[in-house]
Amino acid sequence: MFNINYTFHWNQAFRALPQMLEGALVTLQIAVLSMVIGIVIGVLLALAKDSRVAALRWFANIWIEVARNTPALFQVYMIYFGIPAVLQLVAGVFGVNFRALGINIFYLDSYWAVLVGIAFNNAGYLAETFRGGLRAVPPTQTRAARSLGFNAVDSFRLIVLPQMFRAVFHPMTNQMVWAILMTSVGIFVGLNIDLTGVTQELNARTFRTFEFFALAAAIYYVIAKIVTGGARLIAWRLFRY
Amino acid sequence: MKLPVMFGAAAMAASLIVTPVFADKLDDIIASGVLRCAVVLDFPPMGSRDDNNEPIGFDVDTCADLAAALGVDYEIVETPFPDRIPALVSGRADVGVASTSDTLERAKTIGFSIPYFAFNNVVLTRDDTGIESYEDLAGKNLGSVAGVFEAIALEEDHNEWDAGGSFRTFQSQADVFLALNQGQIDATVVTGTVAAATIESGNFSGFKIAGEAPYLVDYVSLIALRQEYGLLNYLNLFVHQQYRTGRYEELFEKWVGGGAQPPSLALNGIYY
Amino acid sequence: MFGTSITWGDITFMMTGAGLTLAITFWAMLGGTLAGMVFGLIRAQSPWYVNYPMGALLDVLRSVPLLIQFILFNSFQSIAGLNMNPFVVGCVVLAAYTSAYCTEIVRGGIGAVPVTTRKAARSLGMSYWQDMRYIVLPLGTRVMLPSWIGLTLGVMKDTALVYAIGVIELLRSSQIIITRKPHEALVILAIAGLIYFLVSFPVSRLGAHLEKKWREND
Repeated sequence: MFNINYTFHWNQAFRALPQMLEGALVTLQIAVLSMVIGIVIGVLLALAKDSRVAALRWFANIWIEVARNTPALFQVYMIYFGIPAVLQLVAGVFGVNFRALGINIFYLDSYWAVLVGIAFNNAGYLAETFRGGLRAVPPTQTRAARSLGFNAVDSFRLIVLPQMFRAVFHPMTNQMVWAILMTSVGIFVGLNIDLTGVTQELNARTFRTFEFFALAAAIYYVIAKIVTGGARLIAWRLFRY
Repeated sequence: MKLPVMFGAAAMAASLIVTPVFADKLDDIIASGVLRCAVVLDFPPMGSRDDNNEPIGFDVDTCADLAAALGVDYEIVETPFPDRIPALVSGRADVGVASTSDTLERAKTIGFSIPYFAFNNVVLTRDDTGIESYEDLAGKNLGSVAGVFEAIALEEDHNEWDAGGSFRTFQSQADVFLALNQGQIDATVVTGTVAAATIESGNFSGFKIAGEAPYLVDYVSLIALRQEYGLLNYLNLFVHQQYRTGRYEELFEKWVGGGAQPPSLALNGIYY
Repeated sequence: MFGTSITWGDITFMMTGAGLTLAITFWAMLGGTLAGMVFGLIRAQSPWYVNYPMGALLDVLRSVPLLIQFILFNSFQSIAGLNMNPFVVGCVVLAAYTSAYCTEIVRGGIGAVPVTTRKAARSLGMSYWQDMRYIVLPLGTRVMLPSWIGLTLGVMKDTALVYAIGVIELLRSSQIIITRKPHEALVILAIAGLIYFLVSFPVSRLGAHLEKKWREND
């Protein structure tokens, strides 16, 4: 039916499977770490956004709105190429050479840039999710806890937070899947050890685009399914009563 | 739902009937009146953009020459390095004039002409890294373009040194230079002509060449679909004619120049 | 701006890219919404043997990175000799991706209308389509529209990934300029980010406003 003048070399792709699975582990690692960081910062941002201190509110607002209103690829690109550019600008104005001073922490390796970028994005989205979740916990709960003798921190930590996480567990699972899928933008900032990075290198070497990326797609799909399945299992264990 | 399907089938059947069985890519190009070249435009002096963001460079001129020889107009299809072959296979471009190294791995998928250019690779680094030669790269943060000749060689050595540091690959030469400029990587290995042109451009202050990389000469070819023998034959003759007529030397002088000798495209003691 | 060397030519080049970003968003949303409405209607009221396979198929689109979908479909269409240009490839893939999300939005919207309300409508003598038109559509829209606006913004941001198949949209055009003016990387990226933000932010405010207003009316 189609004019196909292309013969598939699936064998070549399957031979690279171990390499790609190693890449998948890196992908998973970045996604999990970025979620952990994102959850912690997300809770803090959610609290900050409703805080009485104007500066905190502003900080949270800017973070959340930038994270939600620009592409994740842009955010990762900005962290990798943008922050060092800020430093060069500062260096230019004040005549300081950060590298000569041995200050290297801003020259992020690709791995860290992707991790930080996705954690930034996760935090922004999760903050809004958490705010919704916090609203779902009735204020009477806090009052009851306080009158039972919990202090403010404990009543938040032990009474409100667990209920909030229960309310937002499903959107959090979605965010986790997104985090996994988002790691694929790492190839634009030099990441060559995650699943997409490994696949792209194999592709560039052999020019067998379809075979390698089809296999990568299948691996991503399986990972996503394992994560959602696992989350459902966890939810069932944690939240039944 | 039925109607579009039938239309589609009819259109497809019609296209199969109308397409002459023996018209190959070469015929298609001549008939269409346009030659579409896949060119990498962040690889000066082979391909780049001028102040109006228009394509220029050795490869762009080579494409224009090829089009003139075929008696057609030309169109530059910009492709980042990893996108060269998809562009060809997808029919977005007819020919790749894109400094493609003629590796055996790639020849399983794509057809190469005889080499139309050759590169020597050099170490490109910044003033402040203390790197003076290729051997100094051990343990440093390195980077290159995903899947290109020098990237594969550099990664092999990086793994062999096993002295720490990292090796990263980027989707374009521009990103490699930007990463080197900003300090995410300390050095890259890149073709000598590109290194010289990049330093020359003045866009990156503090770049310097730190010796040659001990690699084989990197021969690059024009590329077309593997099964398009007619076109590949034409490309071979075209490359030969460019050399024979002195046009190769002329283009080298125009884009590389600086008193350098154009690289020899022939090897002693062997047939191509 | 810091004695910048960015010219008007560069700005127009970026604006052209931004135009392409919006054009892809438009076609993807148009195609994705229409397909999503059809799929959503089917999923909301078909027996499980239609519903499940369909759901699983659409789920694939949500479980594979969009970047890989672009590369994969681009490669597929080239192998199949479909000769689509990258812009069309971008629109098609993004529309399919959008339809997967839109299906869920539509299904959720229909599901949000209480069955009792719809039964009441039918017992008042309304036909199936009248029930859809006068009962489900107005009530469901309140649930669907905020999500749909969110989806539009998501798609607009996802267009940045067509970078990978060679469409020169906003982010790619910025990157091209950075190639020539690396010392201006930050300013150029900031301009690109600002353009995304200026398009996205007002729309997201509108979405939040509608959601709030309708919730208050309930």
